[in-house]
Amino acid sequence: MSFVYLGFLLLSLAGMVLLDVRERLFFAQDARRAALVLLVGLVFFLAWDVAGISLGIFLHSRSAWATGWMVAPQIPVEEVVFLVFLCYLTMNLVRLTEKVLARRSAAADAARGEAEAP
Amino acid sequence: MTYALVIPVFLALALTPATLLVRRPSPAPPRRRALAVLGISFVVLAVLTVVFDNLMIAAGFFDYGAGHITELRIGLVPVEDFAYPLAALLLLPSLWWGLAERGRLTATVRTLVATSRPVSWVNTAYPFAAAYVVTTGRVDLPLVVGTLFFLFPYNLLMYGINDVFDHESDLLNPRKGGVEGALVDPSEHRMILVGSVLVALPFLAYLFLAGGAAAAWVLLVSLFAVVAYSLKGLRFKEVPFLDSATSATHFVSPAVHGLVLAGADWSPGLVALCAGFFLWSMASQAFGAVQDVQADREGGLRSIATVLGARPTVRAAAAFYLAAGVLLLLTPWPGPVASLLVLPYLANLVPFLNITDAGCERANRGWRRFLSLNYVTGFLVTLLLIRAWELTR
Repeated sequence: MSFVYLGFLLLSLAGMVLLDVRERLFFAQDARRAALVLLVGLVFFLAWDVAGISLGIFLHSRSAWATGWMVAPQIPVEEVVFLVFLCYLTMNLVRLTEKVLARRSAAADAARGEAEAP
Repeated sequence: MTYALVIPVFLALALTPATLLVRRPSPAPPRRRALAVLGISFVVLAVLTVVFDNLMIAAGFFDYGAGHITELRIGLVPVEDFAYPLAALLLLPSLWWGLAERGRLTATVRTLVATSRPVSWVNTAYPFAAAYVVTTGRVDLPLVVGTLFFLFPYNLLMYGINDVFDHESDLLNPRKGGVEGALVDPSEHRMILVGSVLVALPFLAYLFLAGGAAAAWVLLVSLFAVVAYSLKGLRFKEVPFLDSATSATHFVSPAVHGLVLAGADWSPGLVALCAGFFLWSMASQAFGAVQDVQADREGGLRSIATVLGARPTVRAAAAFYLAAGVLLLLTPWPGPVASLLVLPYLANLVPFLNITDAGCERANRGWRRFLSLNYVTGFLVTLLLIRAWELTR
């Protein structure tokens, strides 16, 4: 039993929270909406896991780096944290890209406006 | 290769918020920029997937069962792993953007529920559940999933397709828009069609996997009847007799699916029971069409009643009820008792045996009586089923 993987995941998740708060991306923008999006994402990917496991496609294996704690047959606690992290990462990434592109397009519009001004 | 069948189902499901919640004008970025955002994000997530999944598989956290994947790998990572970031990008950002608009989620859910006619849910879920439980005598996952499917998604699919393709004639019919039918705005049509398919998808995926080939065929016939009834180009509802038969299939096929899924033994008595139920449904559909003879003719729609005329249709319905009662006499005890249950339906037709086309809307009284009669009949049928179930144990 080891906390290496779980610790690594929690550290990455903490990084996501930091980025979120600093850039006002996801929870820092609208906590209720973010919670709902994250919850839907988690349920969706867990359902995917359950489908894969019940069809014998996904095989969970005992790893020296994992805690061995299971929330359901074949679903270790690390998987749940990983899915939360994946959803959080996706949303931070999308929101950040969205902001950067919006800023650039606004800057381009402003530059065009100045060029056209007499 | 099994996984190649699972991925499309989940990718399609991931599109739900994008198709149901995000509608222009919306708080989402302009289309081209939204696509750029998703494209850039995908590239980043794909690179991260290659790095992390190589590490995770190397560390032995998970692997895939033999023979389920294509075995195309980048390092240790199967290409199937890219479905995860792709699904996340299809699902989450559009949900975020869609939820930004106050009331959008509630309005969408309300439209879909109203379209599915909640008063009719029990008409399809009950035959399935009753057929399954009486056969197996136990509550299990196929029963729960099947019952849920025939409650909401099945009816949403049936009435959703119907509403969209009936739109023009519905506008002419004042009866639609209340309990007996929902009127929707044409701008909602695309959302309703896509939504009804997406809602049904996970249930269908499960039911096709859970049952054998025979159950799959019954489900396919059932779905074909649902689509063919009102889809442009097929419009079985406008072909006399085929309209009644298709409508009967809508209600009998859930029961047949329940029986086949449960592995029922097809005795002559059981066939007679299903045939009797089928004729009862045909009679009911035909009688239901009588009240709309004028409205349908004005709207240029055809039905068993516009073709035969109001009076012959009522009489044909009476003949169907009678035949249903006779078939029920051939079922094992206490089935023959159920043949008495067609008598109130026959009595309900008596005042309309001499109805005229001009006075066809008078039949609406009988139709409403028919709807309340169903609750009493449903209760009595339940008692008979419980008795039948006790006798077989």
